[in-house]
Amino acid sequence: MNIVVCVKQVPDTATERKLRSDDKTLDRDAADGVINELCEYAVEEALRLKEAHGGEVTVLTMGPDKATDTIRKALAMGADKAVHLVDPALHGSDALSTSYALAQTLKKIGFDLVILGSESTDARTGMLAAMLAERLGTPQLTLANKVEISGAGITVQRVTDYGFDKVEASLPAIVSVVEKINEPRYPSFKGIMAAKKKQVQTFGIADAEIDAAQVGVANAWSEVADFAVAPPRAAGTVVKDEGDGGVKTADYLASKKFI
Amino acid sequence: MDFTLPESAQAVQRGIAAVCARYDMDYWQRCEAEKRWPEEVWAELAKGGWLGLAVPEEYGGGGQGLLELTVATEALSASGAAGGSAFTYVLTPGFGALTLARHGSPEQRAALLPGLAAGEVETCFALTEPDAGSNALAISTSARADGAEYVINGQKIWITGVQRATWMLLVTRTIPAAEAKPRTNGLTVFLVNVPEAVAAGQLSYRPIPKMGANTTPSNMVFFDDLRVPATSVIGEVHAGAVVLWDILNPERVLLAASALGGAEVALRVGVAYAKEREVFGRAIGSNQAIAFPLARVKARIELARLTLYKAAWLFDRGLPCGTEANIAKLAASEAAWEAADAAFQTHGGMAYSLEYPVARLLTEARIGKVAPVTEELLLNYLATQVLGLPRSF
Ligand SMILES: Cc1cc2nc3c(=O)[nH]c(=O)nc-3n(C[C@H](O)[C@H](O)[C@H](O)COP(=O)(O)OP(=O)(O)OC[C@H]3O[C@@H](n4cnc5c(N)ncnc54)[C@H](O)[C@@H]3O)c2cc1C
Repeated sequence: MNIVVCVKQVPDTATERKLRSDDKTLDRDAADGVINELCEYAVEEALRLKEAHGGEVTVLTMGPDKATDTIRKALAMGADKAVHLVDPALHGSDALSTSYALAQTLKKIGFDLVILGSESTDARTGMLAAMLAERLGTPQLTLANKVEISGAGITVQRVTDYGFDKVEASLPAIVSVVEKINEPRYPSFKGIMAAKKKQVQTFGIADAEIDAAQVGVANAWSEVADFAVAPPRAAGTVVKDEGDGGVKTADYLASKKFI
Repeated sequence: MDFTLPESAQAVQRGIAAVCARYDMDYWQRCEAEKRWPEEVWAELAKGGWLGLAVPEEYGGGGQGLLELTVATEALSASGAAGGSAFTYVLTPGFGALTLARHGSPEQRAALLPGLAAGEVETCFALTEPDAGSNALAISTSARADGAEYVINGQKIWITGVQRATWMLLVTRTIPAAEAKPRTNGLTVFLVNVPEAVAAGQLSYRPIPKMGANTTPSNMVFFDDLRVPATSVIGEVHAGAVVLWDILNPERVLLAASALGGAEVALRVGVAYAKEREVFGRAIGSNQAIAFPLARVKARIELARLTLYKAAWLFDRGLPCGTEANIAKLAASEAAWEAADAAFQTHGGMAYSLEYPVARLLTEARIGKVAPVTEELLLNYLATQVLGLPRSF
């Protein structure tokens, strides 16, 4: 089985994140890049499926040069090889054009199963899996907390507000995972050392037959009109307990319609 | 001259830090308070191959040397484990794996190294005796040949990690100290199967209540006609000194690394508090009386690390490393103590509360100045062996 995991590098949530003043895109140089946490779960799931059913795990990352660190991390966990889609023309692509660029690349490299994290910690649109499925004409099985493969079929447990749905489809398919699905492994010593020697193929937009007029900040369907630094948090409400703390707290919560 | 660490050592730094990132300072505080082994971290380190770093690849290990172990120990210690708990890492990956990889017979290597690589088998090291600490060559635990076996009698003290160890690296005398010429002659190192010896009633131990570093107990150990096969000798009979130096030098290096990591934790904790705590309407770190000791610790840490890595590098190349190992040990334990003391002063009265890690860091930094070798003995070595000054003893 040929499994492709889409992995994104995101700015470290522990550091201060900024938008660029020139084109209002995320300033990816300003913050340390780390692997998007949910992508680790996606890699882990791909590795478990490979261990159970055989095949190969390829990491696919669209991002600037420095995203290679993130690719190496996924390879150190045990993925077999990687494709890095990197081109200045892709800078500032929104979710729609990113899904186009990734879909074009996936068509080139081929797949039986694509696994993604259900969202990234930077943009948090959570739409990529659905967009990819649409563009590639494959079933989408999103928000999975359990994945099972049998023959050419795939079944996932999809997390919902009321519990879960059982969703079945045939391969090839697109799956997005939630963090409950597994516990990602740490890269082992041998994994880290081996990752340095694994193949990372670099694709530019021409290699993936991506039309430059459909990607990049200039061609984005969504536009950042303006942005401002969030105002500092206002002082909270202090409830002083003079024997009636419980009542006062309940009154406060009721006044805010929390209860 | 290139100061970049080799890729293998960088991988170790990152890998250990990734494992330890999920275990915060509170975790290590709890382990110490509950006097319990850090099982969770240990299991992760075993799974990732971090315990078998120095085991040759043909036995399933990482095929690395003392430099990688040094970096690993430092990273573990600096994550919050500090000097006391990072010692856990020295017992097996250091004493066991490094020694057997270099001096084990083919049979010993085949029997032990795969288990050490997988983190399934642990070791401890027994040298110190009630009447022979600094003067280690004066040990009296004796091993007498009896057919194809040796019979061992005597007593050891402070032996750390006996409880979990399957194998003990036991240093004995096959020629009594008084008759040995030179004094380094007549030492023999054995591999002793601890659970078997305990079951046979030939080995017993009793933990020593201690001031800190309670994640691993240290023990009195008694040998009562302990019988071991002649094949359990590591290296040559009477010529155990060769093996012993190759245990003691890495031990110095690794415990220097654990002390250095402890210094890094103490500095981090001290600096954070100096930035955040306000007295007289300003952060206490803006007072130079608080800032300078922390700054000096930073300088000491960086200086100690240079000699530390150099000592490991020399050992891995089979070059003499005694001077560097001793200097690194001296510098790192001084840095750790000074760092803990500076963090203590910075915390004011709160340092004395067990809700802060400072008391633990201070207690654990203190051991570094006496174990595995005292500061005075390190200075004696530099004075007599390096500077050629006359011996006082
Ligand atoms: C927590 C802990 C764990 C340990 N774990 C182990 C272990 O796993 N295995 C093991 O074998 N040992 C272990 N040890 C023992 C340790 O190696 C010894 O305690 C150490 O070598 C010092 O020996 P000693 O305690 O007998 O001190 P002593 O040799 O009695 O020294 C007492 C003091 O006299 C000073 N002194 C002695 N001679 C001179 C001199 N000529 N010049 C100047 N000063 C001198 C010393 O520096 C020291 O300050 C451990 C110790 C501790 C505290």
